[in-house]
Amino acid sequence: MSLAAEAFVSQIAAAEPWPENATLYQPLKEDQILLSDCASSLAVQAYLRMCGLPVQVVCRANAEYMSPSGKIPFIHVGNQVVSELGPIVQFTKAKGHSLSDGLDDVQRAEMKAYMELVNNMLLTAELFIQWCDDATAAEISRPRYSSPYSWPLNNILAYQKQWEVRRKMNAIGWGGKTLEQVYEDVSQCCQALSQRLGTQPYFFSKQPTELDALVFGHLFTIITTRLTSGELAERIKGFSNLLSFCRRIEQTYFEDKSSST
Amino acid sequence: MAAALELRCWGGDWGLPSVHSESLVVLAYSKFSGAKLTVCPIDWTWKTITASVPELLCGDAVVQEPAQILHFLRKQRFNADYELTARQGADTMAYIALLEEKLRPALLHTFWVDAENYSNLTRPWFASRSPFPLNFVVPSRQASAALSRILVTKGEAPLHRISEVEGKIYSDAKECLNLLSYRLGKTKYFFGNSPSSLDAFVFGFLAPLFKATLPSSTLQSHLKQLDNLTHFCDNILAVYFSAQNPNGRQPARQPSAQNPQS
Repeated sequence: MSLAAEAFVSQIAAAEPWPENATLYQPLKEDQILLSDCASSLAVQAYLRMCGLPVQVVCRANAEYMSPSGKIPFIHVGNQVVSELGPIVQFTKAKGHSLSDGLDDVQRAEMKAYMELVNNMLLTAELFIQWCDDATAAEISRPRYSSPYSWPLNNILAYQKQWEVRRKMNAIGWGGKTLEQVYEDVSQCCQALSQRLGTQPYFFSKQPTELDALVFGHLFTIITTRLTSGELAERIKGFSNLLSFCRRIEQTYFEDKSSST
Repeated sequence: MAAALELRCWGGDWGLPSVHSESLVVLAYSKFSGAKLTVCPIDWTWKTITASVPELLCGDAVVQEPAQILHFLRKQRFNADYELTARQGADTMAYIALLEEKLRPALLHTFWVDAENYSNLTRPWFASRSPFPLNFVVPSRQASAALSRILVTKGEAPLHRISEVEGKIYSDAKECLNLLSYRLGKTKYFFGNSPSSLDAFVFGFLAPLFKATLPSSTLQSHLKQLDNLTHFCDNILAVYFSAQNPNGRQPARQPSAQNPQS
């Protein structure tokens, strides 16, 4: 969105309170959704629960195409549609709900930096493992991504998505990496997160922020999703404070939900 | 440490040892950690099109990409991050990710995609430092690589046009500069009194933007308003890249170098 349009949307957003019938759209949970989308969607759900904003989760096969930016998840609130965690955080802030108001400038800078670290490393690694690793792509990603469609559309869409993701990986320099190197990068990222978290309950001490929601979304999804190889989950399970962090958020905010995704 | 370390990078101008961000990161880090590098600029050679810059050669080993080169230097015991705590090391990773995601697209756009800057500054500079006939090929190749990188990472699915993302990447970059300024505050370097790899990365990204004579750049004027960041760049240039050793070939702790601002 251009800057003027964003400012306009913020103004409209500020005018109305959060409605009861807000919905979050994601692809079909059992058959279609992939690791990276599930992680992003869980992060947004966690964030909204932390803010105390009610939202219904609706699964649609064409959620990706309905989204204004092509990315999952997106929320439909009143007569506005907003996708991705960053814009959703700004949208809720315009409505007066924010988790990071208590932070000073330096802490806010740190929070944004760590959110970029998660996006840069964890999300990119998830995309890489799903689409650039041939075994995973053939056994899991392509069949799942194209499951709602019939032949030949399912092949076309799956290969098109794979081509797009591989192009992006090449553009950012991940094209030549091996799976081992990607696992190593994920370990380093988790080590950084683990050291930043330390023994505190949340990243910024007492109150959760959008960073906690984002980290929870990614780590919980990786730990609970079965891929062709369990190595990624094993690496994350090596960090005990991150595991207890995920368990704590799950128990505090998702206690009515079943524990497996 | 027995084998000599040789770095291939783009040459310098505008008061900087190199105009290329990634080469500057490696040069700055080598000065901070005391590594002696032989700098081989690739200007006016055919390497402008064949080599991937920056590139470190040590004996038989060839290392590319700034992060890999810094890792290699650390293994050779040139470590500027020795005194950082674990938490500071984690912060370093996070801030480098912030720079890559938020600042790099805008820098690529300013230098390579913005029509005025590209035709008046970037293309003449790179064309004048490439041998014939590469001077016709090298700048346009880099420009199209920059454009496709911006579109692929920031362009949203149905809108593959650069004008749609321009506003967003510049506002992200200005926010990133503000965040760096808040984090640096009044201190000389990001972590205490001696520079580390984060300082090298920030310097490498900011110095070309600060020092280049860009015909039109809102991002450069925004940076010039952030005094602590401009002093940070000037300070590193004065202390580590002063007139006595413009290529940065001598280690930082030489007592004979006369630095009025150290």
